[in-house]
Amino acid sequence: MTAGRRRVPNSVVSTAVPIPPASTSAAPVHRVLGIETSCDETAASVVDDGTVIVSSVVSSQIDLHARYGGVVPELAGRAHLELLTPVLADALAQAGTSVSGEGIDAVAVTYGPGLIGSLLVGVAEAKALSLAWGVPLVGVNHLEAHLFASLLEQPDLGWPLVVLLVSGGHTMLVEVTAPGRYRLMGATIDDAAGEAFDKVARFLGLGYPGGPAIDRIAEEGDSRAFVFPRSLPGDGYDFSFSGLKTSVVNTVRKHPDAVTADVAASFRLAVVDVLVARARRAAADVGATALCLAGGVAANSLLRRRIEEACEEDGIGAFLPSRALCTDNAAMVAAAGWWRLQHGGASPLTLGADPNLRLVAAG
Amino acid sequence: MTLLAIESATDMVGVALIRDDAGEAERVHLGGRAHAELLAPAIAEVCAVSGCTIGDIDALAVDRGPGLFTGLRVGVATAKALGQALGLGVLGVSSLDVLAAAAHGRCGTEPARRVVSVVDARRGEVFAAAFRFDRWPAASGPIDPASVRDDRLEPIDPATLVDWLVGIAAEAGPVVVVGDGAVRYRQLLSGHPSLDLDLAAELSAPPPLALGRLALERLARGAEAPAPGDLVPDYRRHADARINWEQRAPRVPGAGEPGHRRT
Ligand SMILES: [Zn+2]
Repeated sequence: MTAGRRRVPNSVVSTAVPIPPASTSAAPVHRVLGIETSCDETAASVVDDGTVIVSSVVSSQIDLHARYGGVVPELAGRAHLELLTPVLADALAQAGTSVSGEGIDAVAVTYGPGLIGSLLVGVAEAKALSLAWGVPLVGVNHLEAHLFASLLEQPDLGWPLVVLLVSGGHTMLVEVTAPGRYRLMGATIDDAAGEAFDKVARFLGLGYPGGPAIDRIAEEGDSRAFVFPRSLPGDGYDFSFSGLKTSVVNTVRKHPDAVTADVAASFRLAVVDVLVARARRAAADVGATALCLAGGVAANSLLRRRIEEACEEDGIGAFLPSRALCTDNAAMVAAAGWWRLQHGGASPLTLGADPNLRLVAAG
Repeated sequence: MTLLAIESATDMVGVALIRDDAGEAERVHLGGRAHAELLAPAIAEVCAVSGCTIGDIDALAVDRGPGLFTGLRVGVATAKALGQALGLGVLGVSSLDVLAAAAHGRCGTEPARRVVSVVDARRGEVFAAAFRFDRWPAASGPIDPASVRDDRLEPIDPATLVDWLVGIAAEAGPVVVVGDGAVRYRQLLSGHPSLDLDLAAELSAPPPLALGRLALERLARGAEAPAPGDLVPDYRRHADARINWEQRAPRVPGAGEPGHRRT
């Protein structure tokens, strides 16, 4: 982005000097501070060598947004601004580091995709810390960070692998041929899976966030009570969930006395069937050594069970990150940032936020 | 003392570095709404031209609004993180006070008795405050605008603003009007000869140096800079959804929603 630039009439000293890089030091990077504020989690984490989580603090704003049935961007931005100081203080203290940043070699921050008003808070904070501590800044793609979450718990994952990234904002299948080398195989053409969970949960009056709410009640319901459509658009690996959501709404309107748990269980099964079928075929087609889950919906208990069963049948590895690493966190940002610093270097101090950042296909 | 002042409450983003032994430096970017991109490099630049490092800074001030929400958040987040990392408090200063201080200082030997700062609040409204500088020339140093301020705490529409300004002028003589709100509604205001708009364009945004000088005066008078975690912007408006929520009937499942999906 560019901006007009001129001196104001009363400026006393202001000469054009080149914008300096965040840091010119080429010292080896060992310990990275990660910052994540792309949506409604304010998070900071210290990670060593991209693999060892020294501290990870996540402050969720779920309570703040629950009454609206979704994340309210302006509320999220305000909450991030109030939470960033205590969250950073906790992450540094738990890592045995003072606020002077002793021992921190770089600052990594999510700069997209996400809510612009939320991203900007983290980016501004990270740049200030980079300046104050005199260490490199590195901007991280939030989606790439989710892919790195699995490496934090299983550094010896084999390649290639297929990652099913499912969250409130994204549903995609990515082939990872090596760390940092991706091929986007397919994505949702309308709603994300987590978005479908939120919308159906709201329609059924189950509260927010929808994923955990439906997951809970579905365990008590009959998943064969209703047959909802399994949409598999195209011949590739794309997804579509908006027709499924509409079908749930129409069914409940036609059968107002339907047991909510049965509706939830049948809906959850339809979503999981589609996710598992496409992920399984993707993994087989590229000869993946393992199938990984990432993103908030990866915490869904049925999805986890079904992916494990499918991988066992197919004789490939299944990697299901712990719940804390599936949902948004800053450890994955620090890990991805550490890797980026080894393979491309630091970001300039002019780094901005990009709400529509895409996962760049490489390799 | 070496004070860094951060200004991002309007379309302009800028910083000033004031060293009481070695002068002042200022860097300003107008327009473009690229606060996040430009602020940190501007801080590095004012330090470089002043021959000092970030570590030499021992006081921080930031414009805490009212103003542009995203701009404010970039400035306040930057100030908070710098304060936390450097172990410094952060003095928050009102955008309306900075504009008034700058306007008052700019009026030369015949300073205005009345200054009104008007900040564009978007959506057809402004944030405004009137300042009585009747005591000029003051025998005992500069007047802090906050001590002579009549604040409109809620955003007001331009017609209300005009009525208010004309009323002040009728009582106390010409009113100097500054701020980007005065620029936006210039046509409406210029119909009234008692409203002096000569400085409006030059002072459409609070100058970082004026912010820094006002902060230094306040610190010299014993003002305490709060801990970084305690600093909150002066938004003066609820987040949209809260307003909608309070005005709306209870939610029906499946009804239209303001919620945003998670990423
Ligand atoms: Zn995410």
